[in-house]
Amino acid sequence: MALSAQQVSKRIGNPATQILTSISLEIPDGQFVALTGRSGSGKSTLLYMLSGLDSVSDGAVLADGKDLSQMKRVEKAHFRNEQIGFVFQFHYLIAELTVLENVLLPAKKYGKAAERTEFAKSILEKVGLAEKHQRLPRQLSGGEEQRVAIARALIMEPKYLFADEPTGSLDSVNGEVVMKMLELANVEKKMTIIMVTHEMDFAKRAQRQIQLADGKIMHDSS
Amino acid sequence: MISLAIRYLFSRKRQSLFTLLGIFLGAAGFVIISGFFAGFRTFMIDQLVNNSAHIFIEARQEFLTTHSLDDAFFAKRISHAFWKSVPAGKKDYNRIENPEGWYKRLEADPRVDAYSPQLVVAALFSKGGTSVSATLTGCTPEQQARVNTIAANMTEGAFSEIGNGGNRIILGQELLRRLGAKLLQNILVSTGAGAPTPFQIVGVYDSGSKGGNQQAYASLADVQRANQTLNLVNQIDVRLADYEQSASVATTWSGISLEAIESWDQRNANIFTIFSLQAMMRNIIVSVVMLVAGFGIYNVLMMTVTQKMKDIAILQAMGYESWEVRSLFLFQGLVLGAIGAALGLIVGYFVCQYLETLPFGGRAGTTVPLGHLAIDLSFAIYSQAALLSILSALVASYLPARAAAHFTPIEIIRGGTE
Repeated sequence: MALSAQQVSKRIGNPATQILTSISLEIPDGQFVALTGRSGSGKSTLLYMLSGLDSVSDGAVLADGKDLSQMKRVEKAHFRNEQIGFVFQFHYLIAELTVLENVLLPAKKYGKAAERTEFAKSILEKVGLAEKHQRLPRQLSGGEEQRVAIARALIMEPKYLFADEPTGSLDSVNGEVVMKMLELANVEKKMTIIMVTHEMDFAKRAQRQIQLADGKIMHDSS
Repeated sequence: MISLAIRYLFSRKRQSLFTLLGIFLGAAGFVIISGFFAGFRTFMIDQLVNNSAHIFIEARQEFLTTHSLDDAFFAKRISHAFWKSVPAGKKDYNRIENPEGWYKRLEADPRVDAYSPQLVVAALFSKGGTSVSATLTGCTPEQQARVNTIAANMTEGAFSEIGNGGNRIILGQELLRRLGAKLLQNILVSTGAGAPTPFQIVGVYDSGSKGGNQQAYASLADVQRANQTLNLVNQIDVRLADYEQSASVATTWSGISLEAIESWDQRNANIFTIFSLQAMMRNIIVSVVMLVAGFGIYNVLMMTVTQKMKDIAILQAMGYESWEVRSLFLFQGLVLGAIGAALGLIVGYFVCQYLETLPFGGRAGTTVPLGHLAIDLSFAIYSQAALLSILSALVASYLPARAAAHFTPIEIIRGGTE
């Protein structure tokens, strides 16, 4: 079983600007993939298309053989909630909710917050925020906020975790902590992780590096 | 989503409070204004319904047509008359043609509570050198007392003292004052037929209106004699068991008789026009308040949507659907509307309770407490106010909610990525 892109292209705007051109790749379950490239190379676009958050102009993205663009509304909502976790460059925590409530937000969607509370606390303990679970995001440091965002991405134990420059706004110490958390999720939970990064040191720690340039794959280490 | 919506509201307390204030004022305003106007309407209707008969049967009136006078002038000698100046105007009859027929019909009708045959004439009242023209009503006191509140409005003497003969008369306060007369004094009454007839003043009444107090009542037989029209009746006042049927009963009777028949509400149609204007005024005031309050909600929520774009994106990325994002903002509008409405209804109710204690010219014989402002506290007004407040809040929050749900997560996230 795998996540695959088949001849995927992306155009935006009118007149159309080609962002991605005929990308084909297959990511086996449990693989840690780093997408690299210069700004504007199309790596974030590819990440969002692989996650189903963005639509393809041509081609198809398949998750375990299922075309994401053919999914119905309810099915897509389930897929996003249960199969996918997101970590963005910025944490995007909800300012009005506590750390624990933010972590439990995906579980609330289908009324699973209560049953996941203990699990949420255990993740927060792993990321060193057990004592701060009742705090609001504004009472945390940038690194702590990003750790909460990772805890939130892990709460549903998704099959795929997409990370868009997760260390981009952090200092080297916090960046290292975040990277270790992603590695831990990959090793312990066998989570498929697709990470966009500019930082080659972190990219090299992934099992597979895919380099993009001008919307095309220039190098695939697999 | 509900807890998040409430957190959003609490996170911007001042804006929420001002928005709430708008809804609160709208709901309270609706309750107070509606209560006042509806109370006034009820008061006026009570006055009209209780103080007078419900249906008035009067001698028939005909409007002249082109051929109304043909027979009178040409006595069937010609088939068509062409007039240079077409006959026009109204032809009055001075009597009800078959009053006994009416009495039988009224007595047999279960909807009729009471009726009173009358002879109503214009008369000149004189005492010493003072003469005043006014309306004189001849009636049977027992019957008349059952169709209006004249007996309850007596300030001196009793209405029954006019009896069924004996030239005794009851005057309205204003007529008494203008004549400079006193109780038990004699006055002369001239109806234009024959010599003036002496009457003794045996009572005085106060109907509550200056016009109503410038009339006089005597027994039917005495007025018929004074007017030299024995056995003549030109009006029958009728009281129904249910006054709300008045208009329909009057219309039915009009269709089967030649007499001019009017109900109390048809006769006072101008007052109902005022009520309509009042209702229109109330609706305009409340609509403006609600519009301002709704605009407040719209602005606040629109601002929230702009501020919370990242939240919307992350929620959608987690699998929350458009309807859930929409409900996040609709619920905020609903909470503001419901709390604003509840506070408005409570404060409005207490203001109405206070208004009811204010002195106002109430009157005996009505359902309104004597001497206090009449305010309608009916459930319908409060439910309408609640519904209107919540509805306007929902409508005002719908557009921001729709705008929030319209975005896809990638559109929002794209702002911060390549």
